[in-house]
Amino acid sequence: MFGIGAWLHERIPIRGEQLREMTNEPVPNHLRRWWFCLGGTPAYLFVVQIATGILLALYYESSPDRAYESVRHITHEVAFGWYIRSVHKWAATLMIAAVILHQMRVFFTGAYRKPRELNWMVGMCLLVCTLMTGFTGYSLVYEQLSYWGATVGANINETVPLIGPLMKRLLLAGEAYNQQTLPRFFILHAAVLPVAIVGLLGIHITLLRLQGVTEFQFEDEKPDEPRHFNFFPDHLYTELIVGLVLMILLSVLATVFPAELGPKADPLTTPEVIKPEWFFYVTFRWLKLFPGTAAVLSMGFILFTMFLWPLLDGLIRRFWPKSEFSVWAGIVAVLAIVGLTVWEGAVAH
Amino acid sequence: MQLTTKRSIIGVLGILFLISLIFVQWMEVVRKQEEAGLAKPHIAVPASSQACVDCHRQAQPGIVAHWEGSTHARKGVGCVECHQAEEGDADVFAHFGQNIATIVTPRDCSKCHQKEALEFAHSHHSKGGNILASLDNFLAETVEGHRAPFNPHGPTPGFDVQSVNGMASAFSGCQQCHGSKVAFQSTDGGAINVDDLKPGPDGKPTNSEAVAKIARNQDQKPLFHAATWPNTGIGRLNMDGSRGSCSACHSRHDFSPRRARQPENCGKCHLGPDHPQKEIYEESKHGVAYRDLREQMNLDAESWVLGKDYNAAPTCATCHMSANTREPATHDPGERISWTNRPPISLRMDTDAEHKIVTATDPVEREKQIADTAEQKRQRMKNGCSHCHTPDYINGFYKQYDDLVVLYNEKFAKPGMQIMNELLKQGLRTKTDFDEEIEWTWFYLWHHEGRRARHGASMMAPDYTHWHGMFEVAERFYIHLIPQAREIAKHAAEHGKAEQAKAVNEVIDALLARPEHKWFKEGAEGQTEAIRKAMQERYGQGGGEKK
Repeated sequence: MFGIGAWLHERIPIRGEQLREMTNEPVPNHLRRWWFCLGGTPAYLFVVQIATGILLALYYESSPDRAYESVRHITHEVAFGWYIRSVHKWAATLMIAAVILHQMRVFFTGAYRKPRELNWMVGMCLLVCTLMTGFTGYSLVYEQLSYWGATVGANINETVPLIGPLMKRLLLAGEAYNQQTLPRFFILHAAVLPVAIVGLLGIHITLLRLQGVTEFQFEDEKPDEPRHFNFFPDHLYTELIVGLVLMILLSVLATVFPAELGPKADPLTTPEVIKPEWFFYVTFRWLKLFPGTAAVLSMGFILFTMFLWPLLDGLIRRFWPKSEFSVWAGIVAVLAIVGLTVWEGAVAH
Repeated sequence: MQLTTKRSIIGVLGILFLISLIFVQWMEVVRKQEEAGLAKPHIAVPASSQACVDCHRQAQPGIVAHWEGSTHARKGVGCVECHQAEEGDADVFAHFGQNIATIVTPRDCSKCHQKEALEFAHSHHSKGGNILASLDNFLAETVEGHRAPFNPHGPTPGFDVQSVNGMASAFSGCQQCHGSKVAFQSTDGGAINVDDLKPGPDGKPTNSEAVAKIARNQDQKPLFHAATWPNTGIGRLNMDGSRGSCSACHSRHDFSPRRARQPENCGKCHLGPDHPQKEIYEESKHGVAYRDLREQMNLDAESWVLGKDYNAAPTCATCHMSANTREPATHDPGERISWTNRPPISLRMDTDAEHKIVTATDPVEREKQIADTAEQKRQRMKNGCSHCHTPDYINGFYKQYDDLVVLYNEKFAKPGMQIMNELLKQGLRTKTDFDEEIEWTWFYLWHHEGRRARHGASMMAPDYTHWHGMFEVAERFYIHLIPQAREIAKHAAEHGKAEQAKAVNEVIDALLARPEHKWFKEGAEGQTEAIRKAMQERYGQGGGEKK
């Protein structure tokens, strides 16, 4: 054993103490509260997505002629195919929900403030990448929702002034949905976006480690108690519990509500009702409320404002240090998001 | 929280996760067993149908057992979903708290199977009920039977026969394939059908007087006219105005796709002396391959696409209706058929927007009316053929088929029709069909033998094309039809109708003077010699002694 240890140490010159130091950073007490673990949840679900995604990619075929059939084959014929596909679908839903909840927690606790502004921006990029992965994901099935969702999505992009038509061409690989569109979506979904997410996650976690976790003190904490606890094994156990609960939840959802297969894409038949996945309900309702370009530009503006929020908030707080503006802005934003989502979900058209 | 507590929670959650994976494994095993036919599929009886299932399991266990084997049962479609009726429907009755109807019509099926119902409505299948006013039905209702009940000749020992139902042959014969005009018993002893109910666009009757006259039992269940129900004829005329019966092919109550894919299913009606498609198929290479390779046909598969799910052999459904990798499935077999061989003279399947065959002869007028050409239909069929045959092979086959149809049309059908029309024109036969020998002769020629020849060629069955087909057509034409027409003319000439007889004889003479009929009048010694010589050269023997 000693021989192997020495051999390894020669090649990976890290000492035990260094490893402990790296992995065992003291964790602030507030992380004992489960809702502060939401940041790890999307990362955990991302790993699930990578694993199930690789398994699905073994059978998936990205040409329009074969895509739907290959998904049908996965769902109905491949051993455990229905389970893997259902877990993939539910993990995507939960991942997006977890990202949004994590972002809300960071926002309302002001954890994006100096010196963590850049990490908030990285987080915003992660949110956009996650949503894009969701969009390209359900486009791959090549059911009616996939085809028309992609077409509508591309048409929305087209309304952006100046670069709109180029964006549409880039997305669809042509002026309209064609043989190259689906392979492009597949490459985005299974290669470009996951790699981008891995890179951004790396930066996100590195910045987190460099700056440390924002520390909060709650009123019920006793002042004489230690303010930190060990990452290993204490916090790791908490993450393990969250992970196991998630896996059980995914298994239950996948078995009770397995992923279904809608009608195959038919470019000649526009469905009476086109609705994207729930996480785009906000955008969809917004687009219905305002005319084309205005809706797209305002949406872009809102996204850009969110991206720059730590800087804007810094400015506001410089002039009005006691201002609670960001909290109220956050409450309005959450109510608007929930309201628009419920509105879109509740109506038929 | 203490670390030991966390460890315990992790342990418990770990076990729960493992249990969830075992559950997944169990689901997978059950799924595979169901697929392999080793286990009964999981059935979830919808709450609204639970009472039906519980009661009918005792009363008609077969119905429930069949339903349990259906895709409907697996997908949660129960009794009520299909049999549900609304207040105002002609056939609605309250049955243990549910408003239901006995007959499920294509209108009912279309609630879920809209595309299929629409295709079916365009098909010739859905118009099968048109036979009720046709020559064929005249045979059953008048020639074979009688349109009104009549008195028996004498007693039938052991069976009380007060009157004879003259329509029995039509009801039990024609209408079981073509479809009946479903009727209720009327309180005045008559029958109430779609013509009386006058359904509106929503299928509900508009004639409340007729509805009020529907006879009902003590539970208010409407009583069917026994002659018209049960019936699963494919062109059934339903009381809601819809036409057809989906269960003609998708037998209730399991609605098995497997069965609909097999030729035996079509063979309920497509067989016999007048259109032996089933027997023709069995004789063809297609049928022979199917019989041999049936186990490789993947008949149980949910998706059944030629070129993807199976390649072993085609069945009727494969070529005429089912999906292949180049053509979607259709419930209108006519979408792939380029000739109709049903009438005395075959017609090209150029159809108008209403899916009716365009009969105009003027090319400009035809082009104006045609919405879907025979050639387009043929191309759809070829898209299926091309999974197993090369384009040259397919085109070669169609050339042979076209040639046979045209030969039949031109050598026998059109001349035969000309003779029959001339006899009628000259008053030498009555307008009533089947009351003269020559009318039976002509009917045999086109309706039985002529169809056999054409259908035989359409599905590559040489024996049906020749011996059961063209050989018998020729015999019927030369040995029966021509002599009978001559005999009628002779009889007419002897009874003061010399002009009329002359006209008929002139038509026959002109026909027989044509090169293709010359042999019959002038003999064909030269031709038989030539054939014998060719045989001698090719095979070294003379093809039999000269008689």
